[in-house]
Amino acid sequence: MDFGRPQQGERVRLRMRNLYILPTRFGWLWLAGTVLLQVVGVQMQSNGTLLLSFLMLSLFLLTLHLTHFNLQGVELACGAPAPGFAGEPVPYPVRLRCPGRSEGVRLRLGGEAPGPALSLAAGEHELAVAWTPPGRGWQRPGLLRIQTTAPLGLFCCWSRWHPETAQLIYPARRPGPVRLLPAGSAPVVGEPALASRQDGSDDWRDLAPHRPQDSPSRLAWKLLAQGRGEYAKRFLDHPEAAPLLAPEPGLPLETALEHLSERIWSWHGRGLSYGLELNGQSVAPGRGVLHRDQCLTALACCR
Amino acid sequence: MSRAAAPLQWLTMGLLALGLLGLSPALSLSLLAFGLGVLTALKLREARSLEERRVVALLQLVCAGLLAALRPELAPSLLQGLAILMALAGLLALELGAGPDWKALLRRSLQVLLAALPIALVLFLLLPRLMPFTNFGAGQGMGAMTGLSDSMEPGSIARLAVSRQAAARVAFPLGGEPPPLEQRYWRVLVHERFDGRSWRSTAPTFPRPVVGQPATPPPPPAAPGEGIQLWLIEPSGLAAVPWSGSGRPLSADLRLQRSGELLNRAPGSQRRVYALTRTADQPGWRTTPPGPVDLLLPLGENPRLEALAAGWRRLGSDRERLDAASGWFRRQPFRYTLEPGALPREAPLDHFLFESRLGFCGHYASAFTTLMRAAGVPARVVSGYRGGQWVQPVGGTGYVDLRQADAHAWSEVWLDGEGWRRVDPTAWAAGDPLARSGAAAGSRAGGGPLDWIQQQWWGLDIAWARWWLGYDGEQQQALVARLLGEQRHLLGVVVLLAVAVSLAAGLGGLGWLGRRHRGDPLRLELERTLRAFARQGMAPAAGETLGGFARRLSQRWPSLADPLEAFVANYQQQRFAAAPSRAGRRTAHRLGRVLRRSLRTGNRPAEAVQRDHP
Repeated sequence: MDFGRPQQGERVRLRMRNLYILPTRFGWLWLAGTVLLQVVGVQMQSNGTLLLSFLMLSLFLLTLHLTHFNLQGVELACGAPAPGFAGEPVPYPVRLRCPGRSEGVRLRLGGEAPGPALSLAAGEHELAVAWTPPGRGWQRPGLLRIQTTAPLGLFCCWSRWHPETAQLIYPARRPGPVRLLPAGSAPVVGEPALASRQDGSDDWRDLAPHRPQDSPSRLAWKLLAQGRGEYAKRFLDHPEAAPLLAPEPGLPLETALEHLSERIWSWHGRGLSYGLELNGQSVAPGRGVLHRDQCLTALACCR
Repeated sequence: MSRAAAPLQWLTMGLLALGLLGLSPALSLSLLAFGLGVLTALKLREARSLEERRVVALLQLVCAGLLAALRPELAPSLLQGLAILMALAGLLALELGAGPDWKALLRRSLQVLLAALPIALVLFLLLPRLMPFTNFGAGQGMGAMTGLSDSMEPGSIARLAVSRQAAARVAFPLGGEPPPLEQRYWRVLVHERFDGRSWRSTAPTFPRPVVGQPATPPPPPAAPGEGIQLWLIEPSGLAAVPWSGSGRPLSADLRLQRSGELLNRAPGSQRRVYALTRTADQPGWRTTPPGPVDLLLPLGENPRLEALAAGWRRLGSDRERLDAASGWFRRQPFRYTLEPGALPREAPLDHFLFESRLGFCGHYASAFTTLMRAAGVPARVVSGYRGGQWVQPVGGTGYVDLRQADAHAWSEVWLDGEGWRRVDPTAWAAGDPLARSGAAAGSRAGGGPLDWIQQQWWGLDIAWARWWLGYDGEQQQALVARLLGEQRHLLGVVVLLAVAVSLAAGLGGLGWLGRRHRGDPLRLELERTLRAFARQGMAPAAGETLGGFARRLSQRWPSLADPLEAFVANYQQQRFAAAPSRAGRRTAHRLGRVLRRSLRTGNRPAEAVQRDHP
């Protein structure tokens, strides 16, 4: 079942006016079974069969309301969506406030497969609904369908809503060539040169008295064995020749951005430093989650 | 889809299979039920998706409905009810995303079932009944199932005589004692045609209503004072059903033959329930004069028997011939036995009467009736049941319990001016089981506990037959007439209103049940207690801990210090426990109650003190 006028806005409250309900195919089959049993009951003059047929009819009437009550009064609102990559399932947070128990609730965004049926107790819930963004940038996830067939699957009650809040979508990650600008090897203007000499793990530099929080792997075991006390080794990272990443010339912009997205992601995973040079906009070399997100955001919003 | 769905559906399948096992394969509808059951099981085996699982649940319900039509008795009905509950639970489990929480699932399906039941009952009780559309299915495959058959040949009953299977039960719901033991003859078949070896009944095996003739109107209900005999008979394959020989049929299904056979139009492969009045007046069949068939006898089959009867033929009246015959029987050393051995093909009755003198009721009835016919007295063999045990279940209607071992055959002779008289030649033989069972009646009543349970169960069964199986179109009309009186045209409105009211009640009840189980029991207990203190004007301040609030409370009511401390300690221990336990919740409940009670009782003196010193 999927038709009806979609609701707009940041939040929406489901009620008579925006909930739709119809028997499912199984519901019609159920009615046919009821009629069959009624015929058998009349033919055989059997009280048990007649009662069962009436029972099935009354279950039909009852579940019409029970199914509707599952969604009646439920409030939907957008959560704060975290950024995700295009071309792969991204969670989109939806807040539900249920006035009572809601059974068998399924949420579905866009053309995705419906999620699992959830039984929600009364109160606030934040659910993540997966969707696959088609492109980068600030994207709205499209049509959210909320539906339930609980308790017996005889009726399908549903509603449709366009969530307002947009989600930041980075370009899809696709391995490929990236242009490296060597400009990043010089210290960035305004930063003291020593700033790039930072403690790291590459080269042994000197010793310092061991502190309890130092890792045992850095303990100078040889000195300890010689009875000269507990010392920790200090290492030094070389100032890297942090390159600036730039789109590969000759490739379409979108493809180049996808390669950049993948490169940033993998370099971040390996702990390398990098900068970004994009259409005159540049991000100084660096590393860390914030730096990565800054670069990816720049990719997402690039025009 | 909950993980409990598949086991539940298989469990339902097992229950249905159990119900299907009890079906007789003779009726076409039971073949249909078998087929449906097998198809459902196969579908369940291959079902993967939600849709398919749902269809399985529906098929299971339809299967249970067919079973209900075929086996309306109490025990199968209980089984079917259980199967329906399980099928619904399986269907519910399909929709709920939860894990296999059996208790919650069963509770929920019971709730839904209970909420739907009032509507179903309103429709069931008030909607006018339809008559069957055609006579499809009636009279098919009536195999002989019990010992009574329309052809009686001495020896054919020996097979049954040892069977303790239940045959029939007759109850007298409007009170009254059963007839005395020696008067308990329940007639079923009248065998008039004799070919020298076997006795045949003239009644049709299964009466078919004449096509094109309107259905017979239902007989008028029993007048007040007439009494009722309610019969419940096991499947017999015979159209003729047992009755006491007197009384007026109360069901439209029943038809009384001229010979005194009572025919029931319902299929004989099912259990049948019917009622007659219990009047002692002279029934019409007893005075219906005999036809030529009642004197028919192939001559020359049993020469010695014919010679004996020829002597009696010279006597003046039928009564004298009967007396002569009974005197002759009493003088001969006849003995009752269940294993008389086979009679020879040549002159079988001569062998029985003059040589072996061993036999059971069939031999005696057959030989005596032949003798009477040879002596010129119209006579016939009647088969049915004799005796039966009177059972008085706890808090129910008493009934006479008839077993297959009670099957019996006797004779009826026509006496001018009196009509058909029952003569039981078996009673003249030594070792007649009725005489023995009369003597042993006292000891049989006090059987083992299993017998007692079975008797109670059958008492329930009679009540089930009376109230549930007996609810038919007429009862429905009577109920509507009692409810609405002259306003019958309002029935539609009343049904709609009643359905709406029961729907609202069901939904309200479900909502109430849902609310009752909502929330954390520990928290609910705390809130209940806090409300009790709030009524006394003490509420926790913003940011105040439970311990701090409790200290403030015990300053105001020093007598409450102990219960307060216990309650708070238990609450905090349970709140921060790794796994909240049921025992802890129960303790919280108990401590909360103690605290609230001490607040109520301890409060009064305190207030009195405050009033004295304002």
